[in-house]
Order: sequence, then structure tokens, then C-alpha cells
Amino acid sequence: MGSDSTMNVASAPALLKDMGKKKRANRSAKLKQCKLDARREQWLSQVKSKGGKESSEGGSSPSSPLRLNSERHEPLISLEPRSRPEEAEDSSLHDSDSESLTNSPSNDCRKERHASCGSSSSGSYSGSVSEEEEDSLDDWEAIADALNSEPAARTEPPAVLPTPPKCPPKPTSMGVEGIPRPTSNCRAWRPDDAFRPQSLPNLSKQHSFPMNSERQFSSRPGNWTRIGIMSTPSSCPICYEDLDRTDTSFLPCLCGFRLCLFCHKKILEADGRCPGCRKPYGPVEGDVGVNVGAPLFRLSRSCSMSTRY
Amino acid sequence: MSAGSGKCSASGGSVRSWSSATSVSASGKRIQKEMLEFNNSPPADCSAGPKGDNLYQWISTVIGPPGTPYEGGVFFLDITFPSDYPFKPPKVIFKTRIYHCNVDSAGNINLDILDNWSPALTISKVLLAIRTIFINPNPYNSLVPTIARLYLTDRAKHDQTAAEWTLRFAR
Repeated sequence: MGSDSTMNVASAPALLKDMGKKKRANRSAKLKQCKLDARREQWLSQVKSKGGKESSEGGSSPSSPLRLNSERHEPLISLEPRSRPEEAEDSSLHDSDSESLTNSPSNDCRKERHASCGSSSSGSYSGSVSEEEEDSLDDWEAIADALNSEPAARTEPPAVLPTPPKCPPKPTSMGVEGIPRPTSNCRAWRPDDAFRPQSLPNLSKQHSFPMNSERQFSSRPGNWTRIGIMSTPSSCPICYEDLDRTDTSFLPCLCGFRLCLFCHKKILEADGRCPGCRKPYGPVEGDVGVNVGAPLFRLSRSCSMSTRY
Repeated sequence: MSAGSGKCSASGGSVRSWSSATSVSASGKRIQKEMLEFNNSPPADCSAGPKGDNLYQWISTVIGPPGTPYEGGVFFLDITFPSDYPFKPPKVIFKTRIYHCNVDSAGNINLDILDNWSPALTISKVLLAIRTIFINPNPYNSLVPTIARLYLTDRAKHDQTAAEWTLRFAR
């Protein structure tokens, strides 16, 4: 689920970089390994020095990753440049894009960044991402991970170590091992999602609501019931042509006899009487009847007109 | 009305240009549909269908209903559909002579649903109405006043004459 959404975010850049794909897979594996190592180290030191305090301050303030970075991320910095030179320039740019996407702490923020990155990547973004920024991003990720597994880490610090191996099996590229939990919590539910809570309102129900209300409307007592009961034919009973949407909503006579506009006009030209009840059509009927948007109003008007007879 | 008028002009044009009997005009489609429905569920004691390959010229038979002086007779009718059918009624004419106050000697029928036509009516309903006037003639709106008068004054003699005509012309 989480990886799914992150993959979607990364898909746009992925289109552009299929050329260096193999290289990257190679590289990303290396990167991943580096990160894992770094995180392990980081965790060890973190748990030693700070313990639970980190969780309260780390998540939101951008200063902490930087600080962390300068304090104890020497191995990461030294490792990262080693893997960099292999890749093409543009792919590095996309790399950093998607990393920044996947590593940003919250969903909303991530969307904004996605938008901005999308625009900037099309322009001149020629690999100007500084090493430090990347590292800080890595740290973001690391800290987010740390925060996620904090409850477990508090009680038993070594239990954190098994967590990193969870990441490598995750799909292709860099940064996917970012924060799966927060994203899945913040995202909107798809209607067909298996994990969607039952208590959430059903969209299809909401869509059908206006129709229901309309039905209630038309099944009111009196004249309305007669109209409600009359089933709409699929084809015109006069010419047997299929009734289109305009024809279907066209009810020229109170008796409920439906016909297509063409036949109605022909009848108005000559006989002028409803084929169903043989009562003359009202003079305004033809014009009013075509109003698809307000069939109820049209009905009420035709009612008032036919009371003359 | 914009959609309706557009549709009207298009269909009207096609009707005008397709005036031949073998066309698939609006009336042709309607008549074909009626023929299908008639063959699927024909009314009792009635048959109808195109004479030849002209969809607008039908021939029909109505069997005299039991319990009437027309019992056992087979009455042929010519049905002619106008080109603007069903907005105009079909012309139905008895080809078989019949002693009936609502059918004159030329075979013209005095039928209220033909005079007071509705496009929602079908040929099957027309034949049913014809079968109804076999059972219940309408002497108050007759084409042949002498038969109507006899029907009202001496029903037995009327029925006897009608039965004789049936035997003579409709067997």
C-alpha cells in the first residue's frame, strides 16, 4: 500500500529514465546498502545518546536532521559520493527529485513538493542538488524510520536492527524505503480498497442520492403517482425509433403517453391531439416540454393547462 | 426545441425522399414493426400481411365470430397504409360482401377508431374493432340505414339475411 503510493509518485520521473535503468538498479542497491548501514549506525548512536527524546523533537523540525548529519553521519557522506559518479546527470536529478518526494515527512507537504519538482525538473535543474541537501534528506528518512519504530526501540533497542532488512525487498529504486506508515495513514481511501474502513461513507450511495430524492418527488400522491407508475418506453410507440434522453424526459400530456419529439411535432402540425387520450395538446406544451433540466416544473405547468379540459 | 426541430427536419427530409413503398421510412419502419408484432401475437380469428412486396398494401382476413350471423364466414379486407401512417389512419375496405349496417356495398367500413384515429392504434386493434362490430353492430352510426333499421326493428330477420349473405359470399 505504502510502497504502492510511493511508486506512483516516482512513476513520472521513471518515464524519463529508462535508459539508465540497469545502472541505477545496481546503484540503488548499493545506495540502499549504504543507507542501511548508516541507519544502523545512526540508530545505535541515537539509542545510546538520546533514547526516546529524539522522537518528540525530531519529526517536525528540519534542524535536527542537519544536526544529526553533522554529528554522526560521516559514513553516509563518505559513501554516497562513491556511488554517484556512475550515473548520468539527468538521472541524478530525477533521483534527488523522487527522494525528496518520498522522504518528506507529511503527505500534503509531499504533494506540494511533487508539483514544484515536476515543474522544475522540466526546466533547468541540472544536478544542482548539493551533497549536503541529499544527505539531509537521507537523514530525514532515517529519522522518520526511527520515529516509526520508536515504540519498539524504546523498550528494546537492539530490536531495531532487524528492521532494516525489511527494506531491500521493496521495489526498485532509491528512497522507496522511506516512510510507509505515515503515507498510508494520510492517504485517501480508494472505494475498492480492501483496508478501507467500513464506517466511511460510500461514494456510490452519495451519487445515487439525488436520483432517490427525485423518485420520491415523482411518487407523490395525486397526479404525480400516475406519472411515476407509467413506465418509460424505450422506443417511440408511434414511429418505433429509440427514444433519446430528450425524448425520455419529454412528457407532453398528462395522461402519461410518451412519444418522440418528431412524432409530437407531426401530430401538432395536423391533429394536435394526444395519441394516448385523444385530448388536444396544450399550445405551449411543445416548447415547455423540451426543457430537460426541469421536468417537474414542466409537469406542473402541463397539469395546470390540461385542467381546462 | 432546438434538438427536436433538428431531428424533425432530418427525418422529414428522409421521409420525403423515401416515398417509394420499399423504403425504410418512418412509416415503413412502423409498419414492419406492426407486422412483426402481429405475427408474434395475432388477434383471434384474424390474419393480416402484405399482399406482395409492397409493405403499404396488406390483405387481411377476419373469421366471423361464433354466435353471430357471420359465423363461419371468412371476410377479406384490403388494408392500405398511407405514406404518413400512423399519423393518418389506414384505409380498410371489405373485399367480401357482407350484410352489415356499418359496411356499405363498396366495402367501406364505418368504424369509430378509423374516423377518430390515433397514431397509437395499430392494425391489430383495427381488426379487433372490426371483429367487435361483427358481434355488436352500431345501428346508430350506420353506413346502410336500411340494415340498421331492420337490425333495430326485426333483429331475427336481420340475422337471417346476414347469415344468408355470409353463406353466399363468405364461404
